[in-house]
Amino acid sequence: MTLLESIPEKLGSTETFVEKGGVHWLPLGAMNVRELAKAMNGLHARFITITAYQLPKEEGFRLEYHWDLDGQLLGFAFVLAGNTIESIFDLCEASDWIEREIHEEYSLEFTGREYEPLLLRQGDETGVNLRDGVTASGAAASSQEKK
Amino acid sequence: MSYKIPMGPYHPALEEPYKLDMICEGETVVDANLNIGFNFRGIEHLAETRNHIQVIALMERVCGICSNIHTLTLCNAMEKLTNLTPPPRAQYIRVIMAELERLHSHVLWAGIAAKLMGFKTMFMTCFEIREKVMDVLQAISGNRVNYSMNRIGGVNRDITDPDSILKMVEKLEAEMLSTVIPIFTTSRTATSRCAGVGVLTTEKAIALGVVGPVARASGVPQDLRKAAPYAAYAEMEFDVPVQPAGDVRARLLVRALEIMESCKILRQALSKLPPGEIHTEGEKFAFITGTATARVEAPRGEVMYSVSWKEGSRNPARVHVRTPTFVVMPAIRWMVQGARLADTPLIQASIDPCYSCTDR
Repeated sequence: MTLLESIPEKLGSTETFVEKGGVHWLPLGAMNVRELAKAMNGLHARFITITAYQLPKEEGFRLEYHWDLDGQLLGFAFVLAGNTIESIFDLCEASDWIEREIHEEYSLEFTGREYEPLLLRQGDETGVNLRDGVTASGAAASSQEKK
Repeated sequence: MSYKIPMGPYHPALEEPYKLDMICEGETVVDANLNIGFNFRGIEHLAETRNHIQVIALMERVCGICSNIHTLTLCNAMEKLTNLTPPPRAQYIRVIMAELERLHSHVLWAGIAAKLMGFKTMFMTCFEIREKVMDVLQAISGNRVNYSMNRIGGVNRDITDPDSILKMVEKLEAEMLSTVIPIFTTSRTATSRCAGVGVLTTEKAIALGVVGPVARASGVPQDLRKAAPYAAYAEMEFDVPVQPAGDVRARLLVRALEIMESCKILRQALSKLPPGEIHTEGEKFAFITGTATARVEAPRGEVMYSVSWKEGSRNPARVHVRTPTFVVMPAIRWMVQGARLADTPLIQASIDPCYSCTDR
């Protein structure tokens, strides 16, 4: 059994990894992101990043978490109906800046942590979304209108 | 009594803006807070308004020093979405360009590090060598900074006379072997300014997920060219230099040794350059719906691109770039803790930061 084949069992999943677009994806079922982060720490995987996607028609967001395990790129996706997800910063220090960046760009709240401004400098205002039509509060206003 | 010293956003070491607020007790730094974002250009969002040709030119401008690496990673991702495989000759040319860029980047950094050590003649020597590396890049691509070499399915320009390029590389290697390498590995000035300064322990390097030469200088032996080979790296023989000390000197040694490894790879790639096409000529392609991810070992470490496309769309739906400095820069806070204030410019420069990459 390869290392990759042994991971689903360690995560309590009956699924297997599927390679797609250069990433080994594993559906996680009911597992939440903090349980995943703990499991990845247990495997000594290296956290790489989180990629945020805004879904069309106000369907929410898709967050893709990536870890490296011996050169293999692992991917785990979480679809959010709202705009909150638990932070993994206390479990995975490497996630600090990317959580702050996504918070600023997509108005997502990573719960259980505090933020300081990272990329954007508009006073104390965080959660400034760069895409037209979306603001920190979710109201329909463009970034241009805000100015 | 502690007091705060703001350094930047106009930086004494590197001509790019970022700010480090240092809390000092006497001459000793006890903590620091980093502020970035001064170069934020919204490139990821701009990419969503560009077609598959324009987006390559745009992403080449994420970084001035490792511009080739950005287009290489982007093209690798887009090739997964178009099912195009570059021909072997193109894969070799991609390796040659990537290693020349690594040489250019490391020698540039060595010059800046020398200047910060107070070793200005070494700065001049490094920049003279860097000019020669840029001459080689210009001989291949016609450009000195943004090379426009990568395209979906291959490269734009061939290396028509690899022997002449090989001679230029061998001359460069000899010059570096007689100047940069011995000075950085054995000189007392370099050792006294760098040994034991700005230490990042192996444990902290792993916890922060740092990459590239900074990780390897903290005893973490990771390099995507070995762990997850792309282009023609699987066919190259080279070593990955690792140093356990985690200080500025270890970062200096790793980069000096990597210069020699890059020369080794260049010699192999140029002498074994396979014949054939340099891109998938005339082959029609279309993007499939989905997301593709590619990773490449840039001079500063792992670059990752996630590209999302919808079939029939002219533009990508999303381009996410994770640059190496974005994960390495937070480590500065830990490197400067306990350091002397006078050493902090050198410590900050020792990660070879790229603020343009970080902010995007």
